[in-house]
Amino acid sequence: MTADLVSVRGVHRRFGSGPASVHALRDVSFDVAAGTMVALVGRSGSGKTTLLNVVGGLDRPDEGTVVVDGTEVTALDDDGLSDLRRSRVAYVFQTFGLIPVMTAAENVGVPLRLARVPTVERERRVELLLDLVGLADHAAQRPDELSGGQQQRVAVARALAASPRLLIADEPTGQLDAETGLSVMALLRGVVESEGVTVLVSTHDPVMMELADRVLRMHDGQVSC
Amino acid sequence: MLRLLARRARAQWPLLAALLAVVTIGATLLGTCALLVTRTAGRAIEVVAARAAPDDVKVTAYNVTVRGADAASVAADSRDVLTSALAPFPATTATRVSSVNRSLPSAPRVDGLPAETYLSGLDDLPARATLAAGRWPRAATGRAAALEAAVLEPTARLLGLAPGDRVRLGAELSVDPAPPLDVTVVGVARPLPGAGWDRDPLAGAGYDLHFEGQNPQPVHAYGPFLVDLADLFGSGSLVGRLEVTARPDLSRATRRDLDTVTGNISGADRRLAGALGDRVRIERVESPLPDTIGRAREQQRVTAAAVLALAVLGCLLTATALALAGRLTAGLRTGEHALLSALGVGPGQFAAAATVEGGALALLAAALAVPASSALHAGLTHLAPLSGAGLATGPGVGAAQVLAVAAGAFGLAAVLVVLAVRRAAPPADRRHRRDLLARSGADLLLVAFAAAGWWQLAAQPTGSGARADAVRVVAPALVLAAGAALALRVAPPALRAADRLARRARGLAFPLAATEAARRSHAMAAGLLVGLACAAGTFGIGLDATWDRSQRDQADLSVGTDLALTLAAAPRTGDGAAVGAATGGTVSPAADRGIAVGQWIGSAGDPPRLVAVDTARAGSLLRGRLDGDRGWAGVGAALAPPTPAGGLAVPAGAVLTISGTATGAAPVAVTPRLLMQDATGLRTACDGEPLPLDGTTHRLPDCAPVDGLRLVAVALPILPAGPVDPGSSAVAVTLTVPGTAPGPAPWTATSAPPAPERLVAPAAAATGTPAGAELRMTATASLGGPENAARTLVATAFPDPGPVPVAISGRFARELNVHKGAPLSVAIGTTPVALNVAEVLPSVPSAPGAAAILADLDTLSRALVAAGNLDFPMDAWWVGDPAYPDAAARATGLHLGTVTTRAEEAARLAGSPPRAGLPAALRLLVPAAALLLLAGVVLHVTFDLRARAVEVARLRGLGMYRREIRAVLLGQHAGVLLPLVVAGAAVGALATYAVAPLMVRSDTGAVPVPAVLPVWPWAAEAVLLALLLAGALLAVAAAVVAQARRADAAHLRVAS
Repeated sequence: MTADLVSVRGVHRRFGSGPASVHALRDVSFDVAAGTMVALVGRSGSGKTTLLNVVGGLDRPDEGTVVVDGTEVTALDDDGLSDLRRSRVAYVFQTFGLIPVMTAAENVGVPLRLARVPTVERERRVELLLDLVGLADHAAQRPDELSGGQQQRVAVARALAASPRLLIADEPTGQLDAETGLSVMALLRGVVESEGVTVLVSTHDPVMMELADRVLRMHDGQVSC
Repeated sequence: MLRLLARRARAQWPLLAALLAVVTIGATLLGTCALLVTRTAGRAIEVVAARAAPDDVKVTAYNVTVRGADAASVAADSRDVLTSALAPFPATTATRVSSVNRSLPSAPRVDGLPAETYLSGLDDLPARATLAAGRWPRAATGRAAALEAAVLEPTARLLGLAPGDRVRLGAELSVDPAPPLDVTVVGVARPLPGAGWDRDPLAGAGYDLHFEGQNPQPVHAYGPFLVDLADLFGSGSLVGRLEVTARPDLSRATRRDLDTVTGNISGADRRLAGALGDRVRIERVESPLPDTIGRAREQQRVTAAAVLALAVLGCLLTATALALAGRLTAGLRTGEHALLSALGVGPGQFAAAATVEGGALALLAAALAVPASSALHAGLTHLAPLSGAGLATGPGVGAAQVLAVAAGAFGLAAVLVVLAVRRAAPPADRRHRRDLLARSGADLLLVAFAAAGWWQLAAQPTGSGARADAVRVVAPALVLAAGAALALRVAPPALRAADRLARRARGLAFPLAATEAARRSHAMAAGLLVGLACAAGTFGIGLDATWDRSQRDQADLSVGTDLALTLAAAPRTGDGAAVGAATGGTVSPAADRGIAVGQWIGSAGDPPRLVAVDTARAGSLLRGRLDGDRGWAGVGAALAPPTPAGGLAVPAGAVLTISGTATGAAPVAVTPRLLMQDATGLRTACDGEPLPLDGTTHRLPDCAPVDGLRLVAVALPILPAGPVDPGSSAVAVTLTVPGTAPGPAPWTATSAPPAPERLVAPAAAATGTPAGAELRMTATASLGGPENAARTLVATAFPDPGPVPVAISGRFARELNVHKGAPLSVAIGTTPVALNVAEVLPSVPSAPGAAAILADLDTLSRALVAAGNLDFPMDAWWVGDPAYPDAAARATGLHLGTVTTRAEEAARLAGSPPRAGLPAALRLLVPAAALLLLAGVVLHVTFDLRARAVEVARLRGLGMYRREIRAVLLGQHAGVLLPLVVAGAAVGALATYAVAPLMVRSDTGAVPVPAVLPVWPWAAEAVLLALLLAGALLAVAAAVVAQARRADAAHLRVAS
């Protein structure tokens, strides 16, 4: 049996206080095996994004623990969380999250620069990743010169740049048409297959659910398998 | 719509508060400048009038030839005309009357010339002279009583008069002469300097032995006999001059009253003529008051033009800040605008809403700016230089201020409305191209306007009276705006170069910061504001320093030395030592007067000037900026004589004697004139009586009242003492100076012009004897010709200097087209002196901008002496490097004349009431520029960071540390700010060099002399730039830290 890369236990997260407070996550517990693709599905407001942010160390739970790749995320300080995201966890955002003033190649190179990878190696890896996502010919183009699907491919390439163990994708096809979304899903599936990366993805897309190894359903802040 | 605006205002109050603050700042600046050019300027005229010297505001009625019977009524009517012209100001009047000349039979008859005298009456005599003996004359008690009179010291000495003496004055020398009358001398007086004695027929000298009044032949004139004014009127004497001077009390002057009085004075001449009718032959009213007020108004106009130029600059800065704020506001409201458009709100409704919002902002800003500008103006007037100029005032509101504030607030609000209305934009690529074209066109237009404005500034008339036009007022702002716009074009390439460089780095922070700085489309308004504010601030400091330097340069050149004491009366032996003791500085006698150069007497009222001092000490004495690396010591060395005059030392109190012989049958006499020199270089002539050359020894008058004198020249006019013998006579004269020995320098003898051939073989030699030093002078005189024909033997302790080396001013060289080495001839009095041009200077000290000559006074005097003229051409004492802080007061206490100092002149130029507005406005502009720059930076950074909050959160998601994010954001903003600040400073520096000198004018409104030297005060500029950078970076840092702290999942949630 494959070891778990992500282990979430008894996580609670509330926003606000008093009667107006929102209980976004309620006693959430689950595990994600390494090298698998797990889809997190649920209606808007069910707590998917909050859960992904807690797993990726962008948010802290009020209670519970999160362990990623053997590291208890909830015990890390601010710099430790940044280190985690640099080396082991990568994000793909619904709105792509590319830096608008940088070219596709430069955006892909951002994690490598954060890791202070030597220039030659960085350029080689960027070229490889753009080729992987089918955008080798678009390296010098800026985000506003690319289509939505191309931008999301660049975002995936950037997420893979630092060879993360876990890739968190928050509704990566939310702003794409069905065909483009499918190609992005296929890309993520391919990444799982070829790179052995664990992917935790939130989605409404039934196709994505079909491509996932496992589907976690969220409802009112709680997870059910 | 109104409800929407109200709700939006509640929701966006911080934004509206920022807009309101910017509009209020601009309107306050305008209101304050309006107060400076109206209220302060008007008050300045009043202060000028209140502080004016009495002689600058007096009004004098001159009446010539008044019958004795009419004199009293003419004086009374003249007083009435003057006091009514000066109404509503109270005025004091003083009357000075001089009779026509009378014969003076009791005077000793010398040279066969008749003696004359005159009566004078002054109703404020004790204020114009001091009593040396006796008492002031009182009105005669009865018709038969002799008039009481006082005489001046020289008159008393020459006529042998003392209190108690009775003198008979002969009949009047007029067509209908008044009979002789007797006067009793009751006092001996000494004229006070600056007390109007220049209006006396003999200028207060007490005598003139070659008076050439209305007679073809000169006479010996003595006087005046100062009598009580009523006595003079009652004596029946024909009045030659009757002057009534009125001095108004302007301590509570108002502009309106001054205007009234100025108008009255211009019509006073006509009213006086009407009042006096045919009781006087000539009548005239003169007053320097209109000129004094006119000069102040001219200065006020010059200052107002400069202040308005600064106000325009401030307004431009505010408009730029507002354009930035408007763009940011429009950006923030994009979503709202799109929503409302989708709901059917049309462009007209948007425009109406923007107008209502802008109008409300303008109203509120104006309501705040009126009291703010009043308070700021009042505060400014309590600071230097306005407070020093007597312009401190409390807060007040004026119509011009309210108008300026309202116009400013609504004008600036219009910028907001225009920006709001312009929101509907075509597609991005078309807009980009169109904007690019528009910007290029606007830049070119701006540069063209700036060039035209600069040309207008440069083409201003050099003389006074240049009126400021709109182009000149806006020119500085245009130049700075054009410079800032061009500098803005330079910044992007520099940032792109930094971006290319940064891409090679391994880390992310620097490349990301450089990339963001270089590639993100920055708000042009923000860049323009930073560049323009920086340029305006640095230019303001540069202009202030340039203006201040120019005032000091003008003061240096205008006074010419550290302290000048312009003599009110002829200098006396020992004065130099007194001036030296009072000031503790380097003291030199100085000549400073108009002259004729050959046939050239210059233009009207602007004759060529002669300035002569002891140039051997020019380094200590002369002031004023020279061109290149020349110094006054070097210039002076080229003019100074090679060796000082030697001569014979004369102990104090020494009794000099003279004896001589002459061959031939006819008796011969000489009238010895000795030239004594003191340690300061002052030369005074000591005149002896005519002495027969009969072999006997004659005692000379006391020529050495003080120690330290040297006899440097002797002039011996040789005259036949009896019937003229057409033959010749060998003359030998020996002058004995006891208690001294001759120096090694030989004496030179010459026959003075104009007829040197009438004296042949002149010789002089000094020898030592047991009794002292003997100066033996010999010549053979041709005795034919007129009795007083010139036969003057001159013996000097120095050789004839030949042509006197002089330095001439650039204007002199241009107007006469002369160059170095050119010979010149000038007339000093009636004596022609040959000159040789040794140097050409930009200007001569104390003669700024004039066609002037600088000479060594010693050399000039030697040339005059060699020509037989022993008069020392002296008009002032010049003092360099005075040792005492109160040297001016101590010199004034000597009562020798009027004291002017370089420091006082500089203070007057820089701090005179009509001119103090400019530095005050500059002190307003620089902080305003800094404030607007900081406000702009804060606004821009805050809005920029808010707009990029999601991007920053994503960077956190990518694993960037908070400190890295801070570094990126700081680096990015610093990377944009720094080149803009540097470019703005460069524009400010260029404007300081190109525009500031053109904005500085003299106190008459003319181009200053010497030429204005642009000053870039490195220390002050560095402090300003450091403060601006520090303030801006601090604001950026605060915003960045707050943004980095907030960059978390919440923003990602929003984005997703």
